[in-house]
Amino acid sequence: MSVAAEDPSPSAPARPGEALVRLEGVHKWFGNLHVLKGVDLEMRQRDVVVVIGPSGGGKSTLLRCVSLLEVPTLGNVWFEGKDITDVRTDLNEVRTHIGIVFQAYNLFPHMTALRNVTVALEKVLKVSGDEAHERAMDQLARVGMGNKASSYPGQLSGGQQQRVAIARALAMKPRVMLFDEVTSALDPELVGEVLEVMIRLAGDGMTMMVVTHEMGFAREVGSRMLFLDDGRIGEQGEPREMFYKPQTDRLRQFFAKVL
Amino acid sequence: MAVTEARTVEPEVAPDVRGPTAPLPATILALGIASLVVIALGIVFSQVNYALSDRTLTRYCIDQQIPPEDNGAIGVCNIIEALQDPVTSGSLYLGIALGGIAVVLGLATYKRMDSKRRRDHAITGAVLGSQGVLLAAAILWFRSVSPGLFGKHFLNFADLHGYGGAFLRGIRNTLVLAFAGELGGIVIGLILGVLTLSERRSVRAPARIYINFFRGTPLIWQLVTGYFLLLFGFGLRMAAFTVAIIVFALNTGAYAAEVFRAGIQSIERGQYEAARSLGMSYVQAMRYAIVPQAVRRVIPPLMNEFVILIKDTALVVALGLVESEFDIFTTAREGQAATFNATFFTVAAIAYLVVTLPLIRLVNAVEKRLRSGLVGIAGAGG
Repeated sequence: MSVAAEDPSPSAPARPGEALVRLEGVHKWFGNLHVLKGVDLEMRQRDVVVVIGPSGGGKSTLLRCVSLLEVPTLGNVWFEGKDITDVRTDLNEVRTHIGIVFQAYNLFPHMTALRNVTVALEKVLKVSGDEAHERAMDQLARVGMGNKASSYPGQLSGGQQQRVAIARALAMKPRVMLFDEVTSALDPELVGEVLEVMIRLAGDGMTMMVVTHEMGFAREVGSRMLFLDDGRIGEQGEPREMFYKPQTDRLRQFFAKVL
Repeated sequence: MAVTEARTVEPEVAPDVRGPTAPLPATILALGIASLVVIALGIVFSQVNYALSDRTLTRYCIDQQIPPEDNGAIGVCNIIEALQDPVTSGSLYLGIALGGIAVVLGLATYKRMDSKRRRDHAITGAVLGSQGVLLAAAILWFRSVSPGLFGKHFLNFADLHGYGGAFLRGIRNTLVLAFAGELGGIVIGLILGVLTLSERRSVRAPARIYINFFRGTPLIWQLVTGYFLLLFGFGLRMAAFTVAIIVFALNTGAYAAEVFRAGIQSIERGQYEAARSLGMSYVQAMRYAIVPQAVRRVIPPLMNEFVILIKDTALVVALGLVESEFDIFTTAREGQAATFNATFFTVAAIAYLVVTLPLIRLVNAVEKRLRSGLVGIAGAGG
């Protein structure tokens, strides 16, 4: 059933027991704005970490620090036991193992859905044209977009674009997938089709970090939940437990506002 | 099938809700139009009358002692003389009168007009009337000063006999200069434009210095200095034409760099991040994701630069071109110097417009197409 499970990554996966992703004392300043104030985090294989919290709390920044799209001002990020905040790291290589899906889809508008998926396979992973085509069609089919492979992003709905974006990230066979508020820009009736893809992906055993406002998804799919508040992890634990027994006033207040 | 046919047909276009006109606004509009028509008719009548008449020498020609065999000059004489014709005079004064009435009536009443169409008619009548008045006044003023001199120096096409080939060669040389300069400029500009976007000041600084230098000094200084520098400073044996192409490329490169920089900056940051998150290097992200989109957005401004460059090539008149290298303006300048007849400049303007007007139309068409959203982006397929 699951492509991810049947298809282990060619290079060495993390040793059992070792964290796939580890953040230690991560701080981020934008100018004078202190966005992350010392975040520690470990993600193991098959973890689905959902990150919730008020806007401006640093959720997206935290997620972007995992693939070093934002470079932490202080602190370290490890990926598969390697400190990727070390300046000598080949970030391009590391990023091929970390898939990201963005709120604004960020598909390349001048390429078809298919080309969006194959371009990095061919140019970065140096996969042959035929194989890239095959892998891309597999992933497009997986997100239910196989029949739209030759469409341009401008011809697709938001939900369809976002599913192509997920296929684009999956085709790289990442070891972890990061989802940055991927349903926030969608019309309400299009949210379901994207969440469905993500739920299936979690069921296939993909390691995921999901920044989201979809509390139902967070509760049902998350294996662990982080409440990020004012740049710090305010609370973390098993999602249902946090929903039913929030330990802090801040989390109680947050739930009161969003639920 | 039958049901859909039975349905009342919705109007295809938005209905006209401007309402009816009335005698007064309609009269104002008619006066405005009449003012322009009367002026045009009077002038055309006199001109045709003189052109068809058998009078070989006009009074003005005799005054200027123009020989009867100089057909070109006589043609000009007829044009000038016809301007003084009583029919033309009458039409000009009548045009001013009609136009003046339209302006006065229109301005006095348009605010009280109670429908959109009445108001439109009153205002349009006043505008046309004022145009008629201004046109007639300008012609009256022109014929009262020295139309003879003007005709002799700017509309005297007789001396241009035998220059047709020279002007065609001029158009070709102008286009070669502009094309070659623009191509070189695009290559230089793309490289410089990317450099100016670097995070490192050490990379940005040289590009900035180059751009500021070429944008900050006059093109004619660059041409003349470049010419002396290459030929005498460096002792290169080079045609002035080649020097000009090099300088145009260097200069256009500076402007094109700013166009490319703006084009690249206009691409959403998310595109760059998406490319990098797929493991692409900076260069790959530029090459596959950013530049292909930016190129489409910079086409109209680059075409505008090209039109500007076509006109700027006239500055090569300052260099020592040999005759086969003459551009449009140098051709005209040499012709004028040989004959003391400035009609060469009139023809040069026509030659430039023949080249630039279609290009300007093309730029506008391309801009419109690119601005119509989807087509510009998804149109990559077509």
